[in-house]
Amino acid sequence: MSGLYLPKEYLAILLFIVLGVGFGVVTLWIGQFFRMKRPYFEKLVAYESGNPPTDEPRMRFSVKFYLIAILFIVFDVEAIYLYSWALVYDKLGMFALVEMFIFIALLLVGYFYGWKKGALQWEK
Amino acid sequence: MPIIIPTLDFAALIPILAIITTGLVVLLLDIYVEDKAVLGYVSLIGLLATAIACFGLLTQTVAPTFQNMLVSDGYSLVLDLIFVVTATLSIMIALSYLPARDMQSGEYYALLLFATSGMMLMGAATDLIVVFLGLEIMSIALYVLAAFNRRQLGSGEAGLKYFVLGAFASAFFLYGVALTYGATGSTNLQTIAMWFSANPAYAHNPIAMVGLALLLIGFAFKIAAVPFQWWTPDVYHGAPTSVTAFMSVGAKAAGFAALVRLLLVSFGAIPDWRWVISWLAVLTMTGGNIVALAQKDVKRMLAYSSIAHAGYILVGVVPGTPDGVKGILFYLMSYAFMNIGAFAVIALLEQRDQIGSSIESYMGLSSRKPLLALMMLFFMFSLTGIPPFIGFWGKWYVFWAAVKGGASWLAIVGMINSVISAFYYLSVVVQMYMRSPTEPSELEFAPLSLPVTLTIALAGAVTLLLGLWPTPLIKLTALGIFG
Amino acid sequence: MIIQAIFIVMTLCTLGGAVGVVSSRNLFHSALYLILSFFGVAGYYVLLSAGFLAVIQLMVYIGAIAILILFAIMFSRESAMNSAKESQANRQRWLGLPVAMGLFISLIAVIIPVNWPIQQTAPTTDMVRDLGVAFLTSYLIPFEVVSVLLSVALIGAVMLAREENPPVKETK
Repeated sequence: MSGLYLPKEYLAILLFIVLGVGFGVVTLWIGQFFRMKRPYFEKLVAYESGNPPTDEPRMRFSVKFYLIAILFIVFDVEAIYLYSWALVYDKLGMFALVEMFIFIALLLVGYFYGWKKGALQWEK
Repeated sequence: MPIIIPTLDFAALIPILAIITTGLVVLLLDIYVEDKAVLGYVSLIGLLATAIACFGLLTQTVAPTFQNMLVSDGYSLVLDLIFVVTATLSIMIALSYLPARDMQSGEYYALLLFATSGMMLMGAATDLIVVFLGLEIMSIALYVLAAFNRRQLGSGEAGLKYFVLGAFASAFFLYGVALTYGATGSTNLQTIAMWFSANPAYAHNPIAMVGLALLLIGFAFKIAAVPFQWWTPDVYHGAPTSVTAFMSVGAKAAGFAALVRLLLVSFGAIPDWRWVISWLAVLTMTGGNIVALAQKDVKRMLAYSSIAHAGYILVGVVPGTPDGVKGILFYLMSYAFMNIGAFAVIALLEQRDQIGSSIESYMGLSSRKPLLALMMLFFMFSLTGIPPFIGFWGKWYVFWAAVKGGASWLAIVGMINSVISAFYYLSVVVQMYMRSPTEPSELEFAPLSLPVTLTIALAGAVTLLLGLWPTPLIKLTALGIFG
Repeated sequence: MIIQAIFIVMTLCTLGGAVGVVSSRNLFHSALYLILSFFGVAGYYVLLSAGFLAVIQLMVYIGAIAILILFAIMFSRESAMNSAKESQANRQRWLGLPVAMGLFISLIAVIIPVNWPIQQTAPTTDMVRDLGVAFLTSYLIPFEVVSVLLSVALIGAVMLAREENPPVKETK
């Protein structure tokens, strides 16, 4: 494993992960020694801001969510390309601008199509 | 650090750009145009323009390359023409088939054009990354197209099966790319070849070998070679017939396009793959043919027979010579006409919910629709490889290349398989000409609509005429030689 | 030493998550295990000093794709979420096992003894910038083609997920 090394910048992240996970686990673990455990029906009902739940939580979601998620992924990926592009944009100038414009234009056509076809419309 | 702006040779991109632009135009028009058939005709115009551009580029002496990623040499241009023919014939079928099935919509044409652009990318790619991107564009569009008939469960099943197994195959392909890169330090086909010639001691580097094996698995899936063919019958059978026609030829041609370039350019110096391809060819031909014998449904029978055809084409890959490349190109072009022609006949006869593609529906077709039966006879004879049809020449050139390349035994296996295939192809002919028709009430033919009739007529005419006089196609495919 | 420990933890995440994905009897739990597995891979990227890839892994795979998978499970049939007893294995598992093992063993047999060529140059310090330059110069075509790929995926999803059937003619 000689090829592996951990850059210093990541030590903070590592610490953050360890502390974050540790805090949650340890407080729950310690808490179980002190807290009372008297479950009854109302306590076991899913918590919905104090209102009694009206429906099964496990209902079928609308396929609309899926479309939104797909749109999100597409533009999530685009954002990543945009980020690396933005860092070198000033060096390549017009050339980079045109390239990115083509990239976005292609996606926009797809987006425009989805929009017009009602993919973003919640109710028809 | 100064950054050099690369020189760009857009000439290499013209066919692909033409197709993508047409696809985008169709997509935008779809929002505003009510009559979706117009979009089909717009697509046909775009395809025609692409074909003209390809012919124009074919006359150039220097092949334009785009940053070692894409090249538009004779090989890729001839392949582009094959893809254009495939897309054109499929769109013509769709123009009749979709309204008859109540599926007419603009996305269909846009997705089909995008799939075509993916195929063209695979044919023109000289870098494995571009091959992969082309493969994915083609595949994603085809997954959706296979599931296009949403009122029919079989179509959804086809789309899902194709997607799950296709994604799996893509993963193998990508792993192969990664290992090849790990071994040779490049994804560029030419650079990989240079690495092998610079390091002859590493010619049998196990990483490169496993990388190649994984790449072959990915390709074998796309061209439906045994033992990676399991998805084929269900997908071809369940998908709308106009889609089946398109992907049975287009996806296969695209798979072969990239496979041949990869093997001949990058791994030309390492002949070990010849054995693998040889056995793949034998398994594919024999397996496809034997199972096709048992089929009672013509659409399914053509699905299995398309596996067998992949086997014949693999025979042409084995020698790895310019003759082999020429044979493959000739075979693919002829296959585009005869196979799509046969699917067009099925699309015409097929009734709702896949009834009417059973072999019984063809009983006595000659007395009811003599011209249609004659065309089907052309396609069946041609697919068998009986002269004077174009399919004969395709097989002739592929097998001849194998004999010249020192693989005569493969040619013999191929010929035996052609004889086996005659049983099921000719049984359709027997049904059409020698049986009396079933009750007319059972089969009500949809009125012949013009585009599909034209497709059948065109494909039939080409199948016969180029069979009688194959010189133009020989000259064309000779332009695509490399290796 | 600490590197080894991190590596082992990440491997446990990746492999444990992967085993959980294929063995859990609840589809929803499988999706959650998948997130664990993605996280482990992100850790590998950090150890290989490919920080930007790690961020992408977190953003795209965990932040988007895993969520998409959860959505897909939630709008599929209800039993897929509730059933606690549905095994993922089918009768083909005894066929699948030797094939998978065969692939695994042959890959291991190849990868272990190989002397991997190790680059002597130091890893790039500004990976994102180099990536941006590569996208805009030598990898221009793949970069632009990706947007075609994304568009096709977008169109396909819109096409398939539309709720009603394509417009049927109103006549008759």
